Amino acid sequence: MQVDAEKCVGCGQCIPFCPVDARSLGRLPGHGRVTLIIDSDRCAECGVCLRSGICPTDAMYQEALEMPRLIRAILSDPLIEFKATGVPGRGTEEIKTNEITGRIRFGYAGVGIEMGRPGVSTSWEDVQEVTRAMAKLGVGFCEGNPVTHFMADRNTGDLEPDVVKEKSLSAIIEFDVSLEKLPEVLRVLQEITPQLETVYTLEVSCKVHPDGTLPVLPIIEQAGYTVLPNSKNNLGMGRPRFREPGEEGVA
Amino acid sequence: MTHSLHRRGSRESLEKDFVVLSCSAKGFNDNVFGQKGKEFLRICLRHHPVNFGDMKTGNFLSVDPEEVIARVSNTTILEVTYDSKQDVVELMRDLKEADLGVSVIISGLHDVVEDIVRQVGLKRIHTREYSLGTHGRLELLPEYEVLEFTTMCGHAMVASGLVKHMIAQCKLGRRSLRDAAVTMGKCCSCGNFNVNRAQDLLARNLGLWVADWPIY
Repeated sequence: MQVDAEKCVGCGQCIPFCPVDARSLGRLPGHGRVTLIIDSDRCAECGVCLRSGICPTDAMYQEALEMPRLIRAILSDPLIEFKATGVPGRGTEEIKTNEITGRIRFGYAGVGIEMGRPGVSTSWEDVQEVTRAMAKLGVGFCEGNPVTHFMADRNTGDLEPDVVKEKSLSAIIEFDVSLEKLPEVLRVLQEITPQLETVYTLEVSCKVHPDGTLPVLPIIEQAGYTVLPNSKNNLGMGRPRFREPGEEGVA
Repeated sequence: MTHSLHRRGSRESLEKDFVVLSCSAKGFNDNVFGQKGKEFLRICLRHHPVNFGDMKTGNFLSVDPEEVIARVSNTTILEVTYDSKQDVVELMRDLKEADLGVSVIISGLHDVVEDIVRQVGLKRIHTREYSLGTHGRLELLPEYEVLEFTTMCGHAMVASGLVKHMIAQCKLGRRSLRDAAVTMGKCCSCGNFNVNRAQDLLARNLGLWVADWPIY
């Protein structure tokens, strides 16, 4: 995001709208009056300030972004569609369409590690720290996910070199693992957490068994986590419904 | 993604907070989802949503609802927020009867969602995603009272500074609680931000917070 210093009246009304505190008031060299200054290193290119319409003089404008800086907008502005998936947002369909796609099956769990959330932002060096650790465990990173897309080597978890220097409001590392491997994933994640310079939110998903049980719960508790009281629930209303052995109507 | 999953708050507050979503399944129904999605939103609109949006268009606090519906495409995510369990029960009855064949997801308290499923007569929840909380440099997070607002937008479009600014504006009498809640809600373009809950949270926080940050 850029500001036209000739138009800006230095009112500061846009400052609270910035999720990463990239804005301040000051004087540019050779510019007499106070104007808005955007710290381009901190700016995540999320576009909130511009969309808010708060500027009384239309002094903000979005310049055309090139890679690798474009990655900030792809991962920070939810209105931008990630071309590789054709869907807006930072991750995949994950559980949202699981009854149709059959992506997460009995005996498996979906794992999402959302770096920088909530609202702190993340460097992609931190993202790579986690992808490398998870790659060592042999997890299969999800197709259609922007982080996976920007990997140079999925076997090592290395990201493209120019991408590693970037940052974004958040970035989700997504993969599915067998329930046998889930404890190791959670253990390694706990081990590398002190090395990270940001926060992350962690989510784990699985299919509900016909008897109503969720086999990930004891694994989560054993690893020392407590689940929050609210969850996301796919109600199974989509067609074609994916059935596997053990489910209604399948021998 | 997990836009609606990691909301923070007390049980009492989260009991009035539901996000109902639908999205296309790539390679399965992304050639017909647009029409189904429009029908989904029309049904949702009948049951008093407090917010409502399409990730590609924006929410109905900023865009006319008819325009949101008209612009639903084959590959998008639709998100509708409610503050009443009974409204969600009635909504789910209508969606069950309509049998659109698209995925429907509810984010909310586990037991409350399970009770909705029972009341509506759906078989059972198919797949569940749990939040295991936030980890790492927790000292970088704003106060918990601020997180209760900001986590209602999983894309972090509602800045913690804006929450504090709105509290200050309300304390100074420059904005009504409703106006402050809607100002925050407009930033969350998808329609996840529960403006009624935000209004309740603002009312609760007015007496607790001191405006010790710059007033613009």
